[in-house]
Amino acid sequence: MSRNIAIVEDEAAIRENYADVLRKQGYEVSTFANRPQAMTAFANRLPDLAIIDIGLEDEIDGGFSLCQSLRAMSATLPIIFLTARDNDFDTVCGLRMGADDYLTKDISLPHLTARIAALFRRLDVMDKPSTPESLLKCGKLTIDTNRMTIHWGESQIEITVTEFWMVYSMARYAGHVKSREQLMQDANIVVDDSTITSHIKRIRKKFVQADPEFSCIDTVYGMGYRWNG
Amino acid sequence: MFTLPFGLRAKLVLLSGFLFAIPWLGYKYVWEMEKYLRQGQERTLIGTARALATALHERPKLFDYQASFLDTVVKGRDLYAYPIDEPILLDGRLYDWEKYSAHVLSYAKEHLITREDTDTSNYTPQSLSFKHMVGKFDNYLYAFFEVTDDKVIYRAQNSLRLTANDHLRIGLIGPDAQFRHYVISNREAGWLDSYLLNERSDNPLLAKPEPKMQGKWMETDKGYNIELRIPLAMLGSKIGFAITDVDDSGARVRGYTIGTSDISDFNDLGTVLVPSPEIERIIKGMGHSSNRLWVVDQHQRVLAQTGDIRASNSIWDLPEEGGKEDGLFDQLEKKLLLPLYYKVLTRPTDDFVDELFDAANLEGEHISKALAGSPSSQWRLTPDKRAVILSAAYPIWIDNKVMGAVIAEETTNGIKSLRNKALEKLFNIILAVMSLGTLALFLFASRISSRIRKLRNETEQAIDEHGKIRREIRTSSTRDEIGDLSRSFASIVSRLGQYTHYLENMSSRLSHELRTPVAVVRSSLENLAMQPLNDDAKVYMARAQEGITRLNKLITNMSEATRLEQTLQSADKETFDLLDVLKGCVEGYRFAYPDAQFELNMPQPPVLIDGAPEHIAQLMDKLITNAVEFSSPSTAIVISAEQDKNHARFSIRNTGPALPEQMKDRIFDSMISLRPQVQQKQPHLGIGLYIARLIAEFHQGKITAQNWQENDASGVEVIVTIPLKES
Repeated sequence: MSRNIAIVEDEAAIRENYADVLRKQGYEVSTFANRPQAMTAFANRLPDLAIIDIGLEDEIDGGFSLCQSLRAMSATLPIIFLTARDNDFDTVCGLRMGADDYLTKDISLPHLTARIAALFRRLDVMDKPSTPESLLKCGKLTIDTNRMTIHWGESQIEITVTEFWMVYSMARYAGHVKSREQLMQDANIVVDDSTITSHIKRIRKKFVQADPEFSCIDTVYGMGYRWNG
Repeated sequence: MFTLPFGLRAKLVLLSGFLFAIPWLGYKYVWEMEKYLRQGQERTLIGTARALATALHERPKLFDYQASFLDTVVKGRDLYAYPIDEPILLDGRLYDWEKYSAHVLSYAKEHLITREDTDTSNYTPQSLSFKHMVGKFDNYLYAFFEVTDDKVIYRAQNSLRLTANDHLRIGLIGPDAQFRHYVISNREAGWLDSYLLNERSDNPLLAKPEPKMQGKWMETDKGYNIELRIPLAMLGSKIGFAITDVDDSGARVRGYTIGTSDISDFNDLGTVLVPSPEIERIIKGMGHSSNRLWVVDQHQRVLAQTGDIRASNSIWDLPEEGGKEDGLFDQLEKKLLLPLYYKVLTRPTDDFVDELFDAANLEGEHISKALAGSPSSQWRLTPDKRAVILSAAYPIWIDNKVMGAVIAEETTNGIKSLRNKALEKLFNIILAVMSLGTLALFLFASRISSRIRKLRNETEQAIDEHGKIRREIRTSSTRDEIGDLSRSFASIVSRLGQYTHYLENMSSRLSHELRTPVAVVRSSLENLAMQPLNDDAKVYMARAQEGITRLNKLITNMSEATRLEQTLQSADKETFDLLDVLKGCVEGYRFAYPDAQFELNMPQPPVLIDGAPEHIAQLMDKLITNAVEFSSPSTAIVISAEQDKNHARFSIRNTGPALPEQMKDRIFDSMISLRPQVQQKQPHLGIGLYIARLIAEFHQGKITAQNWQENDASGVEVIVTIPLKES
C-alpha cells in the first residue's frame, strides 16, 4: 500500500510539480489549494504526511492553523512546512506548531524527497526496537539513526529532520570541524550562512533546555562548527 | 560672506528698543505741562502785583515826598539813599561803605558849579574832585565824601568865617518845606563842625551850630574824607551837597566848587529818594507771600522792597515728603536713579547770583510797559544761568496817572521742582515698565527660540546620516504656529519613515514575491530533468538550471539584510573576547582562501566586548570576502586590533584599488556595489558591507573605510570601532 501525501499549496504550478515528482516516487498524492478543502478531506482520512504552505489563498497564516489542527488529530503525523517565508520568526513559529521540518521553497526536489523518505523511514521503525548498530553514542549523546531520535542522557531532544542531520553530521566525527557547506550537504539543504547559524542556535537551545551545562557544539569562527565529545 | 548669528532673542530685544520712545514722549509731555504751569505762574504773579498795586492806588501822599512828580531824574543830582544793612561807624574811614561801592558816584569837572566869573580851564581833578554816596540806616541818612584835594585848608583858628576854607555846603528842604543851608567847616580833622546858615545872610555870626548833623573829617593822602549823618526828620524830599576848595591859606580865595546840584537855588536842588517806610510797611504785609516785591516810582527808582527771592517759598513748592522709613526702592532711587536722572535734569538751586538784589533802579521792558499803564511780565535768566526769574509789573494809578509800579518777582524753582518730581516719577514708572517689558519680551523670545531650537534638534536627530529614521519627532501639543510646525515635521518624518521602511523592505518583499515563481520554474525544470532528454535538450536544461540557481542565490542575498535585522532584534548579547573571534576567523580564512595571505597584528590581553560573536564573525566574513576580492595578487591582508580606554578597534587592510572619495561613506549603504562589471562572476547586490554596518551598529560601534598609502603601496582599510564591555 502506497503512502498518502497531502500537499496544501495555493500556487497550482508548484503544487502540481511537487505532486508529479512525488507520484513518480510511488507516493499517492492528494492536493489542496486551501485550508477548508484540506480540512474536509483530513476529517475523512488522515494522510501519512502533509506538506503545507503557510500563506493559503486569503489566509496569511492558514498553514499554521492547519498544522495545529493536524497535530491535534495525530501526534505522530509528519508535517513539513514548505514556504516562501524565510525569516527566523516564521521558522520558529512553524516549528513550535509541531512541524517536523521547515523548508523554504528554494529547496531542490531531491532534497525534498530525501526528507520525505527519511520521515517515512522514521515512522516505519518507530514501533520496532532499536538495533545496536543504528545507535551512535558520544558521551551523553545518543543518536538513533533509524528512528531519527536524539537523546541527551535520558531525555529525548525534540528535533527536526534538518536539525537531526546536522547534529548527526557533527557528532559522527566528533572533534572535527564541519564547515557550513558540509553541514548543508549532510542536511540536504541549500541555504545561506546565516540560516545555518540560526539552525545551530536553535539546536544549542534545545540541548541547553535539557541540560543547562551543555556546551558540546563549538563555533569555530570562520570555519564552521565542531562537536566536542 | 560671514553673517553674525542674529537670533530671535536679539531681534526682539532690539525691537524693544522702541520702548525708549515712551520716556521721550513722557519727557516731552512734562515739558509741555511745565509751559502751562509757567503761564499759570505768570498769571498768578501779575495777580500778586495787582493786589499790591490796588493797595497803593490813589494814595498820593505816599509819593509826595518823592521825586515822583518830577519829569526827569538826573543821575548824580537826584540822589538815592541806598538801604544800608549795618550801622556805619562815623570815623572817616570808608571801609564800611565798601559793600556798596557799586553805587558810589564820582563828581568832577562836569559837576563844577560855575558862576559868570569862573574859569574852568585850569581845572584838574587833583585840585578838587570827590566820590560820594548816600545811604539810609535806621532813621538817618548817611553820606560820605572821599575828596581829592591837593591842598587841604582848614578854617583858621581865629576866623569866624565859615567859607574861607575847604568846606562842604548842604542845601536841603526840610519836611516843613523850608529851604535851609548848612555848612561843614572844620578847624581841624575830627568831629564835624556843622552850622545852620541864616536864611537871609551868609554872615557867620548868624550861623548856628547844628549838633544833629554829625560826622567826622579825616585827612587822607589824596585829600580828606567826610563821613556824616543827618536825621531823616530834618530832611524833606530835596537835598544837595557842594564842596568848595580853597587852595591858598593866605588869600583864602574860594576856588572851584563841585556839587551834586546847585544848592544856592531852591529850584535847582536835586532830590533825594529815601526808601519809603510808609510803602514798605504796606508791602511788608505782602512780603509774607512767596515773592519779592518792589515798588518803583515812575523813574523806575525803588521806593520799597520786601521779600527774598531766594527764600521765597513759592506756592508751587511741594511739601517735603519725609519722616517715613527708607525702603529698598527708596534706597535704590536715591543712590542710583536720582543721580542718573539729574545728569539730564537740572536741580533748581537757591544759590544763584541775583544782580537786582539791592538795585536802586529797576529796568526792563515789563517795567516800562507797566509805567506806560499796562501790566506786563518778563522772564529772565540770572547772569550765572542757574535760575530763571519771573518778573511781573503792575502800574499804580493816582489821578489817572501812573505814579509807579509794583514789581513782583519769583523764581521758577517751584515749577522746576514740580517738573522734576513729575519726571522722576515718570522715569521710575517707565523704567519699571521698560524693564518688565524688555524682560517679558526676552523671556518670550527665549521661550520661542528654545522651542524652535528643540524642534530643530529633534528634526536633525530624527534622521541619521544615512537618511534612516532614527526616531519619531515628539509632537508638541501647543496650539500655535510652532506647535503646527512641530506636528507637520512629525507627520513628514513619519511619512518619510513609512517610505524608507517601504524601501528597506523592498528587497525582502521582492525576494519573497519572486520566490514563488522561481520555485515554479525550478520545480518544473527539475521535473523536466527527470524525463529522458536528448543531448541538445540536456545542454539547455543545464543552462536553465544554472540560471535558476543564480537567481535563487540572488533572491536569498536580497533578503539577507532583512533577515539579519530580524535576527539582531532578538539576538542575545554575551561577553566574549574579540581577539579570540578574530583569530579564529583568520584561521578559518586561511583554509577558505588558500590563495590569499593573512597577517595578524593582535595585542596580548583579551579585549572583552558585549555582543554576539557569531555576528562579529559574520561581519568579518563580509569584510574579508571584500578584501580578498579587491586585493592585488600576492599581497597580504592585514588584520589588526587594538584597544583604548573605551573602545576596541580592529581593521582589515588590503592592498589594491582605492575607493573613490565620494563613495567612502556610501559603500556601507544597502545596494551599493563598486565591483566592475567584469568581476561579477558571483551575483552581488551590495548587501555585504551593509550587513557589516548593521552588525557594527548592533554593537553600538562604527564602521568606516579609508584609503591608505605607504611608500608605493596603497589600498583600502576598513576600521570597525566597538565600545568595550562596561566594567
